[in-house]
Order: sequence, then C-alpha cells, then structure tokens
Amino acid sequence: MHNVASIEIEQDIIQANDKLAYGNRQKFDENNVFAVDLVGAVGSGKTSLLETLIDEMDDDIGVIAGDILSKFDAKRIEEKNVPVKGLNTGKECHLDAHLIEHAIPEVPLEDISILFIENVGNLICPADFNLGAHVRTVIISVTEGDDTAEKHPMIFKGADMAIVNKVDLAEAVGADADKMVNDIKTINPDIPVVKCSLKTGEGVQEIIDLYKKFQNQ
Amino acid sequence: MHELSMANSMVEAILDTAKKNDAIKINEAVFEVGELTMLNPEQLKFMMDVLREGTIFEDAEIIINMIPVVIECESCGFKGETKMDDNMDHLMSVAKCPECDNTRVHIIQGQECNIKTIKIEREDEDA
Repeated sequence: MHNVASIEIEQDIIQANDKLAYGNRQKFDENNVFAVDLVGAVGSGKTSLLETLIDEMDDDIGVIAGDILSKFDAKRIEEKNVPVKGLNTGKECHLDAHLIEHAIPEVPLEDISILFIENVGNLICPADFNLGAHVRTVIISVTEGDDTAEKHPMIFKGADMAIVNKVDLAEAVGADADKMVNDIKTINPDIPVVKCSLKTGEGVQEIIDLYKKFQNQ
Repeated sequence: MHELSMANSMVEAILDTAKKNDAIKINEAVFEVGELTMLNPEQLKFMMDVLREGTIFEDAEIIINMIPVVIECESCGFKGETKMDDNMDHLMSVAKCPECDNTRVHIIQGQECNIKTIKIEREDEDA
C-alpha cells in the first residue's frame, strides 16, 4: 500500500507571466523608455503604422517585431534605420513576457525613448499576456469587417487605446467605421479611439498626440 | 496554439511539484480556468494528454473547473457573476452591468488559469 497525499499547488500560469512582465516594466523605467504593446489582426496595419510613426514622430524609436516565423516585418522596420529586434515565436500565437525579457538585452534601451513591441497578428491570444509595456494599443481595420470589435471584446477590455485603420476603404468594403468605434467604446468606455487612414494620413497626428500624452502621464 | 504552451507550463509545474514531494505516481490534478481566458478546456486536456505520456502524470484524472466571470459595476456597485452566453457573444457579459446596464464595469474574476492541487502516491515509508 502506497502512501497517498494531496498537495496544494495554487500556481497561476497567467500570474507567472505578469511577474515577468513587471520585471520588463522595471527595465523600461530604469532606462526612461516608454513601451507600447501594439496588437492587431493580421493585415490590420501594425507594421505600416510603425513605419509612419518612425517617419512622423520626433522621438528615438526602437522596435521589437514579433512574427510567427518570418522576419518580413523586422526587415521593413530595418529600412527606416531604427534599432529593431525581430522576434520569432516559433509556433506561438502571441508574444509573452518571457520572450520579451530575452529580447530586451538586444535592444539599445539607452539610445531610445519609445519602444514599440509589435505583437503577432492576432486579436485573441495576446489578450491574456501582459508584456510589461506602459500602453497597449489595439489596431483593427475596416476591411476585417465592422463586427471585428464586438467579436473580440477581451482584447479591447485590456487596451489603453484603439485605432480603426483604413477608414478610406470603409465605403468600398461596406463597413461602418463609426459602428466599430462605438463598439469599442461600449466594451471599454475609458479608452481613446482614433479613426485613421495610413494612406491619407487621417488620424496620424491624433495618434502621435495620444502617445505624447501617455508618455507624460 | 496557445493551449500548447499553457499545457506545457502546467505539466511542468505538476511534474516539478510531484518530484519535490517524492511522488511515484500522480492520481489526480485539479485546475481552475477562468471563463474569460482564451483557453478551451478540451484542447487544454488534449495537449496535456500528449505532454504527459510516459510520465508519472500519465494516468491521473484531470479535473478542469471553469471559473465564472465576476464583474463589479462602477456605477451601481453591483458585484457578482454574470452569465456567459453559449453563442460566444460574451460582449455584453464583460461590458455591461446586468443590474443597471452601465458599461463601466471591471472584471474581477474569470481570467485565471490556476493549478490547484494534485493527489500523489509515495512509497510507503516502512517499505
């Protein structure tokens, strides 16, 4: 007869990630770096937004570009001559605090004032994983359909700011950009939502102003 | 496939605890998964089955208890469970107070992924 025992573990896997995220945040703060977790659907315009912000913002920007396998996004950012670290998740659908912890030493935090972390294109899985960034921005576009926000409430619930991109195409694809904004406001009444077109430049200044505001908070 | 990485962390934590407690076999493992985590319990179980093959965890019963969503309303002060819709239209349950319909609500439970307890067997001390 074997001796049988019940053992309490009480270990929360998501909290374990939060602990690592807190460590990342401390590293950003020590270096006076404002970190942004940029989350969005596949093809919503994450990399294009970064290209625009690098051109238009006065800050020294650095980028961690997450991608499942390829380095396409990192290469696009590289062409802008800013420090970029491509981060492949292998088969994972989201970045987590542990991956960021390992990428941080390869980013020259002392030379930059803003770090954008481009998450894997996905509105579902990243919701549970805090990276330690100061602000999470969610970007969606009208071409994904104007029910995108209401179908993914959790990602907006945990966001600090949201962008509805490609509004210049709304009519062509039969999407109602205002509905998307209203849905986001219903899910999270406290966050600013910007209607934007990276093609026409609409909303870009508003996005830059918001980041400035967040930075000074 | 984020169930795979979660399942991996869970199996590792369980085997680690079992080893520290001199287990020769694990009979049961109990988990608590919040309704709002982006985790599917069936997939989680399936992934754990793959990962625990050939370990002392292999034959254990896996019990996953789903933890309901609890919200707190900023406006009327309501604090309690909110129903999840089977149609996955959980927009309203996370966004709207069931008492006063205000949308300024905070989620206070339902986002956890917890390994609660394991039941293990040890060699009898007299043996």
